[in-house]
Amino acid sequence: MSLRIAAIAFLLVGRFCLSAAESTAPAAAPSWLDRDKSYPYLDNRPLGSREQPLVLRTFLPNPGLEEAVFANHRLGFKAFAYSPEKGVDLAGTVMPIDGIPAAIAVSYGADLSIVFDTTEGRLLYAWQGGFLDLFPYWGDAVTRGAMVQMDYVPRLIGTLIYRASQAHPLEIDGRSVSELGAPQFAGYDLVKSQPVFLVRHGKFLVRTTLQPAGPLAFRLTFATEPPARLSYRNESNRYTLTQHQAAAGQLSLTVKGASLGEYKGYERAPDLKVASIAAGRQLYQNFGCASCHNLNGAKSNGPTHVGLFGREQTLLDGTKVKVDEAYLLESIKNPNAKIPLGYAPNVMPPYNQLSDLQYQSLILFIKSLLQPEEAL
Amino acid sequence: MKRNRAGRLLALLFALVVAGIFAATITPEHYKVEDIAFPPNMPPQVGGVAFDRDGALYVAMRMRGEVLVAQPHADPKQFKWRVFATGFDNALGIVVPEPGRIVVVQMAEVTEAIDTDHDGVADKYRTLANGWGMSGNYHETNALVPDGKGGYFVALGTASYQGPTFVHTRGEYSAFGRRGRNYSAVPYRGWVMQLGRDGLLTPYASGFRMPNGLLLDDENNLWSSDNQGDWKPTTPFYHIQPGKFYGHPSSLVWDKNWPADKDPLATFRQDLTSYNALRTRPAVEIPWEIIHSGSQPIQIPRNNAFGPFGGQILLPDDSRAKIGRLMLEKVGGQYQGAFTLFMEGQGLQTRNNRAAFSPDGKSLYIGQVSGRGWGGAPPGASIMQRVRLVKGAPFTIAKMEITPTGFRLTFTAPVNAAGAEISSYPVQSMIYQPRWTYGGAAEDKRDETVTAVKVIEPSVVEITLDAFRAGRIYRLRLADALVSATNEAPPDREFFYTANQLPSR
Repeated sequence: MSLRIAAIAFLLVGRFCLSAAESTAPAAAPSWLDRDKSYPYLDNRPLGSREQPLVLRTFLPNPGLEEAVFANHRLGFKAFAYSPEKGVDLAGTVMPIDGIPAAIAVSYGADLSIVFDTTEGRLLYAWQGGFLDLFPYWGDAVTRGAMVQMDYVPRLIGTLIYRASQAHPLEIDGRSVSELGAPQFAGYDLVKSQPVFLVRHGKFLVRTTLQPAGPLAFRLTFATEPPARLSYRNESNRYTLTQHQAAAGQLSLTVKGASLGEYKGYERAPDLKVASIAAGRQLYQNFGCASCHNLNGAKSNGPTHVGLFGREQTLLDGTKVKVDEAYLLESIKNPNAKIPLGYAPNVMPPYNQLSDLQYQSLILFIKSLLQPEEAL
Repeated sequence: MKRNRAGRLLALLFALVVAGIFAATITPEHYKVEDIAFPPNMPPQVGGVAFDRDGALYVAMRMRGEVLVAQPHADPKQFKWRVFATGFDNALGIVVPEPGRIVVVQMAEVTEAIDTDHDGVADKYRTLANGWGMSGNYHETNALVPDGKGGYFVALGTASYQGPTFVHTRGEYSAFGRRGRNYSAVPYRGWVMQLGRDGLLTPYASGFRMPNGLLLDDENNLWSSDNQGDWKPTTPFYHIQPGKFYGHPSSLVWDKNWPADKDPLATFRQDLTSYNALRTRPAVEIPWEIIHSGSQPIQIPRNNAFGPFGGQILLPDDSRAKIGRLMLEKVGGQYQGAFTLFMEGQGLQTRNNRAAFSPDGKSLYIGQVSGRGWGGAPPGASIMQRVRLVKGAPFTIAKMEITPTGFRLTFTAPVNAAGAEISSYPVQSMIYQPRWTYGGAAEDKRDETVTAVKVIEPSVVEITLDAFRAGRIYRLRLADALVSATNEAPPDREFFYTANQLPSR
């Protein structure tokens, strides 16, 4: 067991791609797989490199982008909470959460990370010093990949250096490409492993390439077909632009951004000094327990925990057991030991790597669930 | 306490009889299940399995979106995996039109990835379609299959109330569509779309909840299962036809014929008569107890390299260690038919999500998945398994067909003497009414009366039911006494026939 934990720890510390110093392999081949026959998949803080950027499509956070940037999105709004048991709307509401649904993140190593959005057809933001903490969406080795329910958008790690604002800063013949109609994302090429994004703005196909360019800076290269005169609007007086090259249909510049905010990833459940219901609730959320054990009293893949404690539970083999602390603890650590009637074995994974205080907190929380929580 | 002698003798006799019954029947291993080895630490995340024409096996990994490729090897531990493409989000469908070119459906789009410089790694990623909404809900995953005309069918799953939506959505947001347990807040969630070879994406059929896997069979019929839940009391199996509505109301908000001021959930919650009139019933309904979560249906090759079921469709269970088998026939111009378990356990793992047959038709490669991360899978859980026919054929009903008065059962081998007894064929029937509630129990259960059994050929039996009616699901449970003439027991004794229609006399 300790070997296994050590291996997981190694993987968590290790990086998904080769570090810059090691990355002498041919550019196109993700050789990490063949190199050591290992697959560091459990790394929920992956990092690419300058030579082999990591392209990752996932839900992405919104670090305070202004509304104008979402010109081609629509607004979601609050919805009635719903009781699947009663089949009716409830008094409470469910608020939409912040996130970007269809963007692409790229890590060029610690020097640069960016988010390019396929709906707006533009770079949304850039940061340095890290990439994404995917814990809320992918979980980790202990939670075995459970997502954080209602809060699964991955978090940024590092210093935000650029944030888009207003219309698209690229101009063709003096007009922002935003004026050419809704952008059409066409895909991307990997040119020597470097992603080149393709977006159609009206009759123009625009290719966008990004590169790290030192502290607070990144380099942007645009190419347009058919060729036309390109210019770039500075979106903030806190940024400085340095133009390198401009020809018909070509534009290359360095954007020196500013320190716009620090991000540290997802805040994990605290290191407990004492067991508590509040800590149990946080753990319940982190481990995604509610995805199978509803808090609204409804039957799901597993029995609801609402009002469960103290009751008599009939098991698959017909025997009855009282739901007490010992039963709950056993069911968390070894779910197959006692399967409640009406549920299948081998559905829930064992959670046996938690601390005693964490187990106690979870049990305290489950004990506290007397009434259905209707408004999620 | 002393037991009397008669009691002891009776107990002994009973034990001998029981032992005798079990000693007499045999269940030989016809299929072998092997674990395919993957690189260490790879979680079970299979979202797509496909072969190219050269026999290379492509496997899409759901969450982080790598596509691995290997040439299958006789030794399941000797697959040399390499990465062909990366960066897909919720890759849950893959098609390989030719070696070095794949088409993947991910959450946001259908993407073509091509290795243009022939170094073994894709370098050109092109968006083939993205004309559907994304609310930000985690549950909006998709499935993909070729349409047989150079395009594709794309199935778009609904969102779940167990997750939120985002402030900024891709696509229009509907308040009516947002309501309910599983919902369709943005365009075409709960629809199957057709992506023409011209790139045009058009709505094809509605009313799906979570159609996790599509099949276009070799006669160009489009099939899918759906996940039991709200409005889905069973695990249904649908023959998907254009313009039809398959029962989950939320998707109707994106139907141009549905009034914009009408809430489909509220409407049908009150009015099941109108609901039943609008919906197209499943070709087969499988009780949830039998299959929890139907995943990708797959057609058994007709060359019978996989046993005597060529042309029939297998339905893996995404939750449990099961694969079902469907026996379909056309009655009154529409497909309906029967279900039984093809395999349960026997080394098969749980979480069976995506599958493909090897080009020679001998091996079924079945990929396993676990949750949205890698939850649900015990340490060392398999990622992909290979099922092969190793000996003969199992004794079972190969074909269950409806007659005007009952069923014709074609076994894979001659039946024993019990095959001629009425008591060997107990039949129950039931109905399921979809409602807004999650799942649903069998209603109006009846014990049917079998009035006659006729052995037409040594392996063909016809049973006649008293007052045989359409619109019901018939459950036949072969009695334990019924085995093959060589004493082989079937792998599953239960058969469910969905009699939407009876054939005319």
